[in-house]
Amino acid sequence: MSRFILRRLLGMVPFMALVSITCFGLIKLPPGDFATNYAASLAAGGETVSQATLLSMREQYGLDRPFLVQYWRWIDGVAHGNFGYSFQWQQPVSTLIWGRMGLTLLLSLAALLFTWAIAFPIGVYSAVHKYSVFDYVFTFLGMLGLAVPGFLLGLVLMYIGIAYFGEDLGGLFSHHYLNAPWSLGRVADLLRHIWVPMVILGTSGAASLIRVMRANLLDQLHQPYVETARAKGLSEFTLLLRYPIRIALNPFVSTLGWVLPNLVSGSVIISIVLNLQTAGPLLLQALLSQDQYLAGAFLLLLCLLTVIGTLVSDILLALLDPRIRMQ
Amino acid sequence: MRRRNFLALSLSTALAPQAWAATLAEAPALAALVKAGKLPKLAERLPQQPEVVTPVANVGKHGGILRNALAGDADHNAILRIVGNMGLTRWSPDFQKPVPNVAAGWDESADARSFTFKLRPGMKWSDGHPFTADDILFCINDLLANKEFFAVPPSQYVVAGKLVTATKQDDHTVTFHFAEPYRIFPEVLAGPLGQHPVLYAKHYCQQFVPKYNPGVAKMVADSHQPNWASLFRAKCGDIEVPARWANPERPVLDPWVVERGYTGGTTEVTMRRNPYFWQVDTAGNQLPYIDGIDFKVVSNEQSMLLAVIGGQIDLQLRYIPSIGNKPILAQHADKAGYVLQPLTPTDANAVCIYLNQTDKDEKLKGLLTNKTFRIALSHAMDRDSINEIVFLGQSKPWQVAPLPGDSFYNEQLATQYLKFDPKKANELLDSLGLKRSGTGPRTYPDGSKLFLTVDVMVNETAMIDTIQMVKKQWADVGIDLGINTMERSQFYNRGQDNAYDIDLEAATGGVHPTTDPRAWLAVHQLDSRQSIPWVQWYTSGGKLGIAPSASMQERLKLWDQWKQTADQAAADALVKKILQMAADAFETIGTVQALTVFGIRSKRLMNVPASMPNGWTYPNPAPTLPQQYYFTDA
Repeated sequence: MSRFILRRLLGMVPFMALVSITCFGLIKLPPGDFATNYAASLAAGGETVSQATLLSMREQYGLDRPFLVQYWRWIDGVAHGNFGYSFQWQQPVSTLIWGRMGLTLLLSLAALLFTWAIAFPIGVYSAVHKYSVFDYVFTFLGMLGLAVPGFLLGLVLMYIGIAYFGEDLGGLFSHHYLNAPWSLGRVADLLRHIWVPMVILGTSGAASLIRVMRANLLDQLHQPYVETARAKGLSEFTLLLRYPIRIALNPFVSTLGWVLPNLVSGSVIISIVLNLQTAGPLLLQALLSQDQYLAGAFLLLLCLLTVIGTLVSDILLALLDPRIRMQ
Repeated sequence: MRRRNFLALSLSTALAPQAWAATLAEAPALAALVKAGKLPKLAERLPQQPEVVTPVANVGKHGGILRNALAGDADHNAILRIVGNMGLTRWSPDFQKPVPNVAAGWDESADARSFTFKLRPGMKWSDGHPFTADDILFCINDLLANKEFFAVPPSQYVVAGKLVTATKQDDHTVTFHFAEPYRIFPEVLAGPLGQHPVLYAKHYCQQFVPKYNPGVAKMVADSHQPNWASLFRAKCGDIEVPARWANPERPVLDPWVVERGYTGGTTEVTMRRNPYFWQVDTAGNQLPYIDGIDFKVVSNEQSMLLAVIGGQIDLQLRYIPSIGNKPILAQHADKAGYVLQPLTPTDANAVCIYLNQTDKDEKLKGLLTNKTFRIALSHAMDRDSINEIVFLGQSKPWQVAPLPGDSFYNEQLATQYLKFDPKKANELLDSLGLKRSGTGPRTYPDGSKLFLTVDVMVNETAMIDTIQMVKKQWADVGIDLGINTMERSQFYNRGQDNAYDIDLEAATGGVHPTTDPRAWLAVHQLDSRQSIPWVQWYTSGGKLGIAPSASMQERLKLWDQWKQTADQAAADALVKKILQMAADAFETIGTVQALTVFGIRSKRLMNVPASMPNGWTYPNPAPTLPQQYYFTDA
């Protein structure tokens, strides 16, 4: 097992190198650079910037250099722990990223737990009570949850909050605690606010997992081994939990790899609508303005999360299902 | 007539400093600090002759926090427009002339080559350090002229290829010298791009310049900045960067100073009063009235709109004013406690149709550069329906021209070819040999397909609605138009690549057309969309780009003359001639007048003018002096 993990970890190094070139290439692919986008964003607001400023910007940031030079400067820094410099913010990238990563992870984990807490029992119930009234009700709700885009749900909730309750549902903190240092009160305030994005983020994920869980379990419920166990007199509950559910869990675990990055990047629109200070909006803004090092750092981080997530899910799968081998 | 000498005026009417001290008043919070010995007395903090501001309606009272919203991570100009348009001069509230601001007054030489600005003795930066001529010289000599700071110096300080120079007469008198006459210099200083001379406090910012501090290299390395110029900008800002509002230590001349800065990931930017602010009202109260401003950072316009109708915002003039938002803003006004704040247009047209005069497709270029073709397109448009349907009947048909009432109003430019006359349009198109069978699309004389595309930014919903109507109207006379909606940066990249047939954009210049004449003169690097290669030709002195039409070349020549004409009447005559030539050339097609849009202000917020121009050169609301706004219940 430890050899397996070591081998996988070593393999990650060349893989991440390839990923970094691809990321950087993709960021640089659209025509123009940070300076033109900066000028365009000002011009769109009827505002102007002098050509001199743009020129000095390009020279200062080395945007006039060839692609490979720019890439090398960046990746060389990354290897030494320096993620580069955000043109937009005139700040080192690392200070920008870590500030947002904490809340992002917290929100992602909360949404993941919510997803599982909803999807698991409902999925099992639906499978065991196939075509019952509640199965239909949950199926209906699940389809609805899949069909309604999260950002729309967010906007509707926020409008209802403001128009009928005079309550601002956006954000993760109330105004009073926005910039306060961490305290018990602030944690309580965060818990009061986090359920809205948690539910919205988790809804579509839960809806699809309910379907997956139900289908997987249905496949297992009529297998001969289940019949055998039942014939031997095992109680229905123990039987379910010990055998078919364990196998039906495989997809939960094997998708963990892309659940992690998806929770960061998939929540971009919802974070924008709900005004959450998570990584998503910053990443989007960086991509739009071609703030290349900031965007690059985010993309690298997301890829790293995917790779780690896949590794974790592989390990968990091996533990969960003895049929899976390391080779 | 334009020669002015405000200096004499201000000196003769000013009271002696001691007389001020007797009647001065300050905010209670500051008075408490003075009492505790933590702040010098008010009379010592103000200049010997503070600028006396006459409030819009009445003398206000100190207190309260103004709530505003910023859109996302790059809305630094929203702060600039409320807090930071503190140049040596500023626009008069009616956008007619520049008036003294940081400077007490100025005097210009008869040839308009040198300008002498008189500063206010005793005036201080927000940290209490004196503001003097040295601060201005620091910017001109050590920054503007420094190739490491500006690879090319900003064009607003360059005349005839030479950068401005400055000499210090005494601590409070500075003279700017230009190589050629530069009559509009005081106007330039009034706009946001002319603030450099008073942006940087030498005593603080010099620590980031190698000339003054040999230790800069280490500071650069420690802060992971690429070079000293970036470190400088991160600490002391530049006109249009978020970092200008990020550093609470940076001394400023603004009414409010940064408390919690605008940095990546921030959720709220807060600013608090500058205890050394140099303006007082007519009753001797130090401005600003309002204690501070809280800028909530929201990520998109819908969230901003929700915050507004939820009553969480006291003043919002950006992003929410659009024709489509007016009903929902009006609907929630009473409950949320705000009133609509009219913003009068300064644009020359709501939706300007720029026909690319240097289209890469030769056959199409032949048509787009043909005036008869453009006239036909104009007559084929039913602007009354566009006005009714897209602009709710609030506007009126208009070509791209200065608005009535502006001194450069030109009737021909504004109203020619406006009539909806499909019959005439068809005749004109027939006369060009564009063949048509039945009611289908026309073809070129050689029978090949005639197809035009128009680029429009996806966030400009009114423009998209307009062009969809135009598409139908043009189809009725056999002109086949494809609509290409795209993201903003794509729109600008295609503009720079000269890769479009037609662009839709706002046209500036409805008021004070000389501040941004992009629609009549190919001078704007990004937005003179009648032809970007023409602009490149002009700005490179004929080395790059494509040579413009004879008419445009003549206009550009007149424009160069205009810049360097010392006499105002002669200069105005040149502008009139340019506009007349633009009218005869008819390069761009207009739709309807830009219309009054509505922001909001809290019912409790007073001294806001009943309406204000909406523009960038007049960076509203700054020239209406937000420092004299106040809350009734403060």
